[in-house]
Amino acid sequence: MFEQDDDIVERMIRQLRRPVSIDPGLDARVMGEIAAAAQPGKRRTWPWLAAAAAVLAVVVVTRPWTLDPGTSRADAFQFVLVAPQAASVSLVGDFNDWDPARSPMHTAHGVWATVVPLAPGRYRYAFLVNGVEWRADPAAPNAIDDEFGTPSSVVTVAGRGS
Amino acid sequence: MGIERVETGDAELVRRIRAGDIGAYGVLVARYRDRLGRYAVHMIGDREDAEEALQDSFVRAYRSLDRCNDPARFGAWLYGILVNRCRTTGARAARRRRLFVQDAEALNGASHADAMERLEWTDAVERALARLAPEYREAFLLKHVEDLEYEEIAELTGDGISALKMRVKRAREQLQKFLREAEHV
Repeated sequence: MFEQDDDIVERMIRQLRRPVSIDPGLDARVMGEIAAAAQPGKRRTWPWLAAAAAVLAVVVVTRPWTLDPGTSRADAFQFVLVAPQAASVSLVGDFNDWDPARSPMHTAHGVWATVVPLAPGRYRYAFLVNGVEWRADPAAPNAIDDEFGTPSSVVTVAGRGS
Repeated sequence: MGIERVETGDAELVRRIRAGDIGAYGVLVARYRDRLGRYAVHMIGDREDAEEALQDSFVRAYRSLDRCNDPARFGAWLYGILVNRCRTTGARAARRRRLFVQDAEALNGASHADAMERLEWTDAVERALARLAPEYREAFLLKHVEDLEYEEIAELTGDGISALKMRVKRAREQLQKFLREAEHV
């Protein structure tokens, strides 16, 4: 009886250890809040940042376990665009067939963010602001071979160990 | 700013943040979001409150980053902030809403009877967890779900190891009882 009782708790533990999906917009909300503080421990106001960077974008790479465990070679990339005046922003690129509906960005205080898994390779991408305005990433190299004539950027994901 | 290298360590990221690179903090948020989120959801029992607690913990950690004495152990330091935040939230919210974590993928392809059984089990697990006293639930989750050592839990919570062991033992006993009761309903 004791073993059976212990088994039921172990079964419960296995259940509780399953991943819990957290709202991906949380990243943007956090980054939006801290964007108000330019230095740790020193709180500053949003207008300071807005004046300094009307548009500022950053792509960061995170651990692969954060997304899509089925594609073990993919790393999770967080794209962040600071666009306080935008009503909507989508990330479009070679990785999502340039479909704005597939990577909508979430906002908090004008900081837009989304995370996508990318396998090693070279990708062109851009931000689609308010559904009509294409913006390249000012923090990344411009793509020079854009056949559509719209601004876009390029990111190259190196394989592990390379 | 720009494109960060894969697998940058916590200590290096903290150094960059302290130097003014806000974007580096996004890496830490993405790195710890899911694991800490799981603890918050199970501890608080309400997803909305849990995500609020998680967000607040990340923001507090950023604003207090100068007080992170060992940047290589940023994760453990962040855990401590979240544990304290969950204690406050738990007391305020008093588990006003029940949590349902539906595992849609696990149910795909299951027969109706199997799906119902799994949902009942999930419900029983959440109910049992909710019936534990907060200090028992906290110790149980940190030890058995988050897989921390007692020494680490003691460091996070400020509680003694013997007290923590006692809480985990009693939590297990009570969970056995609650789950058996659910089986016979």
